Amino acid sequence: MRIVLEPRAAPRRLMRVAAPLIALLATVLASVPILLALGLNPLSTLKIFFVEPLNSPNGLSEWLLKASPLVLIALGLAVGFRANVWNIGAEGMFTVGAICAGWLALHFGAGGHAWLLPAMMLAGALGGMAWAAIPAFLRTCANTSEILVSLMLNYVAALILSYLVNGPMQDPEGLNYPQTSVFAPSAMFAPLIAGLRINVSIWVTLGAVFAAWLFLERSFVGFQMSVSGAAPGAARYAGFRQGRMIWLSLLISGAAAGVAGMMEAAGPLGQLTPVISPGYGFAAIIVAFVGRLSPLGILFGGLLLSLLYLGGEAVQMSLNVPASLARSFQGMLLFFLLAADVLIWHRVRLKRA
Amino acid sequence: MSQGGLSRRELLRFGAAGGAAAVCAAAFDASAAAVLRVGLALVSPAAEVGWTKQHTLGVAAIKQALGEAVEINIIDNVFQPQDAERVFRGFADSGHRLIFGTSFSHGVATARVAPQFPAAVFDSCAGTKTLPNLGAFEARYHEGTFLAGIGAAKLTKSGKLGFVGGFPIPDIVGPANAFLLGAQSVKPDVTCTIIFMNSWSDPGREKEATLALVAQGCDVIAAMSDGPAAAQTAEQNGVWSVGYASDMRKFAPTRQITAVTLDWRGIYVQDARDVIAGSWRSQSRWQGLKEGVVKMAPYADSIAADVRTLLARAEESIKSGALQPYAGEIRDQSGAVRVRVGAAMGESDIRSINWLAAGMQGRMKG
Repeated sequence: MRIVLEPRAAPRRLMRVAAPLIALLATVLASVPILLALGLNPLSTLKIFFVEPLNSPNGLSEWLLKASPLVLIALGLAVGFRANVWNIGAEGMFTVGAICAGWLALHFGAGGHAWLLPAMMLAGALGGMAWAAIPAFLRTCANTSEILVSLMLNYVAALILSYLVNGPMQDPEGLNYPQTSVFAPSAMFAPLIAGLRINVSIWVTLGAVFAAWLFLERSFVGFQMSVSGAAPGAARYAGFRQGRMIWLSLLISGAAAGVAGMMEAAGPLGQLTPVISPGYGFAAIIVAFVGRLSPLGILFGGLLLSLLYLGGEAVQMSLNVPASLARSFQGMLLFFLLAADVLIWHRVRLKRA
Repeated sequence: MSQGGLSRRELLRFGAAGGAAAVCAAAFDASAAAVLRVGLALVSPAAEVGWTKQHTLGVAAIKQALGEAVEINIIDNVFQPQDAERVFRGFADSGHRLIFGTSFSHGVATARVAPQFPAAVFDSCAGTKTLPNLGAFEARYHEGTFLAGIGAAKLTKSGKLGFVGGFPIPDIVGPANAFLLGAQSVKPDVTCTIIFMNSWSDPGREKEATLALVAQGCDVIAAMSDGPAAAQTAEQNGVWSVGYASDMRKFAPTRQITAVTLDWRGIYVQDARDVIAGSWRSQSRWQGLKEGVVKMAPYADSIAADVRTLLARAEESIKSGALQPYAGEIRDQSGAVRVRVGAAMGESDIRSINWLAAGMQGRMKG
């Protein structure tokens, strides 16, 4: 007797949507023994983890604020992932976008210009695209792996940022601390609600969700990209140019990550520091897959991952449990999601040897 | 969660528009509560020894001194400024009235959050800004590293010291210089190679840096990071080490010359008492050996008796002010005179130091 996985012809649509929810439920169930072992009441701990963070205006604001860059980056990545273009370099594109926007902020911030924020956003997009153009160029011209090139460029971007905040862009009055001056108000997003950190940049992310939906689900190019991802042979036969798909995928994800970097710099950060991304570029890969590479799914995926971060802090704050608990929650969620995926796409069969 | 009056759920009912007003109301509500909620944000994951550990000892001392009158909540691994701001807001928003930041990367975040929560008191270790409800505290690390340098010079055979630092900021650059100056005060031709990790807590990189220094012939390694990796690696490679923040003898049982330990307990407990009494006043504290914030861990057995006497005398002289670690003449790497003969650097110069002393190998910029 052995166990085999047989692929299903077509998984039910309902199940594909339900998979993340099943995974979440399984995570919650699996966490019960862990919480009991830690001497915690599972019900109240889970409440603190998943409900407490959203229980105040400040909590809601922080939730959306943390989800926004994850969603925006993941949208860009999903475009490429659908076409089998594996951009692992969003972290670097995020960083370069923030650097370009930050340069504008530091040079023109004092003027109080109304055009500054839009210009910074454009600079962020162009910066991210320029960074993404490197793996695109090397892939199309030299057939290098975009996975390795984009991954390595993360480190290059991080070192450039480190050089800049330690040198040319360093705050002259900052006691040699490796950071730039704090941006002027004209170079920062206005808060959406006074006293909270959530700012108008979330409209950009919401707009991007809609734009990504239009592009992926309703445009011919989006269709071409999905086809070349799902069936490269068919795409070639149909005459879709592969090089164009690679360029488009990387430039779109670069622009999204670059704008996300700009929004982080002009939002919660308000300056450039040696490290500006708390791992958003990598977390967004998770978000893209939790969201099944669909724009609406990514929106929920981003909100979920953001909630996991905040929940981890909430249980630490309220119950003094180690932060590793939150990380194990994240790990379990992904594990169960992948497991659910396998079962949705495959049938488990027992076969006689 | 709140002790009475306005609960968070009720807050939600005010809706987002009334958020700011509600937040203020929550802060006032918390001030009426009997228990002082104390929040501590740590820059690295909580660990057995190191910078972060010493700060947890600070809040533990509050708990020990004030017992039921306080509730302590800790969040660790808060490095990014944007995360730090969320954590500080979260603390203040949930009724914490004494909130500690413990890293320079928390500085801007506390300065941004403090004005929005006037009922809460913030105290920021390694912060540079003070506000009516935001204090700053910092240790005179250089006093300890100067003494460690004397010990290092007495034990080094190669005349080459090594220093592994977190970031090239004054808090690290200054103590590194003082380490070398202490060594040169008893052995003028000693040099020191410095490597910056650009991270506070990266055991892998710290180990690599230590190995690189050992490979270059450095036989005393001092580190200013958040962890015992350098001390541990030095022990394994048979070279001396100088611990930082905590006594790291456990990780370097035979090879730790001493450790520049940091004892923040007095500051933490005083803050809590003052907040409860309503007498807390914002100040910037910069304390060292004299106040007991910097303490030398027991010296290694290999330190000879006459050296112990020398070290004890130097420690007393630093406490009394007779010995200034940054007394001239001090030249920088380029040979330019930074401190003239007979002069000594003042507080603001020490705290903004951005050059390496002559005899330092290595560069400020990564």
